[in-house]
Amino acid sequence: MARIVGGLGTSHVPSIGAALDKGLRDTPEWKPFFDGYVPAQEWVREQRPDVAVVVFNDHFNALFLDRVPTFAVGCAAEYHPVDEGWGPRAIPPFEGAADFAWHLVDTLVDNHFDPEIIQEIKVDHGLQVPMELFWGRPPEAWPVKVVPIFVNVLQYPIPRPDRLYALGEVLGRAIADYDSDERFVVLGTGGLSHQLQGARAGFVNPDADRRFLQDIAHDPGKLAGWSREQYVETFGGEGAELIMWLVMRGALDPEVVVRHRHYFVPASMTGAGMIVLENA
Amino acid sequence: MGGEPDRIPDTPLLDRERQLRGYRMNKMAMGLGDPANRAAFKADEPAYLDRFGLNEEEKAAVLSRDWKEMVRLGGNLFFILKISAVDPVRITEIGAHQAGMDHESFLRDRLGKKV
Repeated sequence: MARIVGGLGTSHVPSIGAALDKGLRDTPEWKPFFDGYVPAQEWVREQRPDVAVVVFNDHFNALFLDRVPTFAVGCAAEYHPVDEGWGPRAIPPFEGAADFAWHLVDTLVDNHFDPEIIQEIKVDHGLQVPMELFWGRPPEAWPVKVVPIFVNVLQYPIPRPDRLYALGEVLGRAIADYDSDERFVVLGTGGLSHQLQGARAGFVNPDADRRFLQDIAHDPGKLAGWSREQYVETFGGEGAELIMWLVMRGALDPEVVVRHRHYFVPASMTGAGMIVLENA
Repeated sequence: MGGEPDRIPDTPLLDRERQLRGYRMNKMAMGLGDPANRAAFKADEPAYLDRFGLNEEEKAAVLSRDWKEMVRLGGNLFFILKISAVDPVRITEIGAHQAGMDHESFLRDRLGKKV
């Protein structure tokens, strides 16, 4: 049976990808941010995951407001980067793990989660940036296949935090039940605190971010029990996307070990966080 | 949280009312993900805006790059960013404009940067 080797959490700020594109990795502004990911990249190299399930949101790049799936699972063979207005980025396409994706859809529906099933879609910085941060940008092909899980965290009503945690629990069972010897990681992405809109734009909350990086490991039930309003108030209008980390956490066992943790503020306008978790 | 007014001050969320109010403007900006549309936007911006049926108020907000007004009219930042990519304008400048602060104060006082 397939095995989950760990859970990864990270911010997915587009400026991170832009900084890499512009060769700013080692500038004083960005170096402390990127250096914090070096131990996580070593962890990924040692663990050699075959499949990455990436929980993220499209930022109105591949999906428009004409149809807004609350949950969607990519079941495609390949995902190309989308043009977000700046032109195409020089990163390889992502190979999909389509067989597992269909197994996941079956398992989700059997457990009362009914996702949209996607066959053709491009992926934006929400998926690209976490992959670049943990794997580094490869010259030709990514050394891991992906299964994108798209979550609507922009058009209200967005799903409840406890629902995302429950989705993660089903995802964990789907991996455990999958007839394969492949090694899986689950990525929860987004956040941490930031707000891009309104007179409160520029809001960040480093104390709450640091507390979140503790609680996501050791008290996830508390975070799953928060209301959406609490997330918006505590982490900002766009920071509420942090609820997507709960899917990653739900896929792991109740007891976890923190292998690596990193926090940096501000990455562009965002409190940027990272965590590497393993089942205890 | 559905169609109710925002409960958290100065924090506009994309609820039903804003989705409907901003639909045309957001659809216009979504189009800028396509290089051909970016070229059309740069060549004749008012004509590009007319293609998407923007009214005078919406056109004025876009043409003057009044980010705060675009958001008030239902524009969502993730669409508006595609306009800023064409210009280009930094996201922190858009943030400062909405906060009613100059850029340097915004970086320092909101984001905690040493400037």
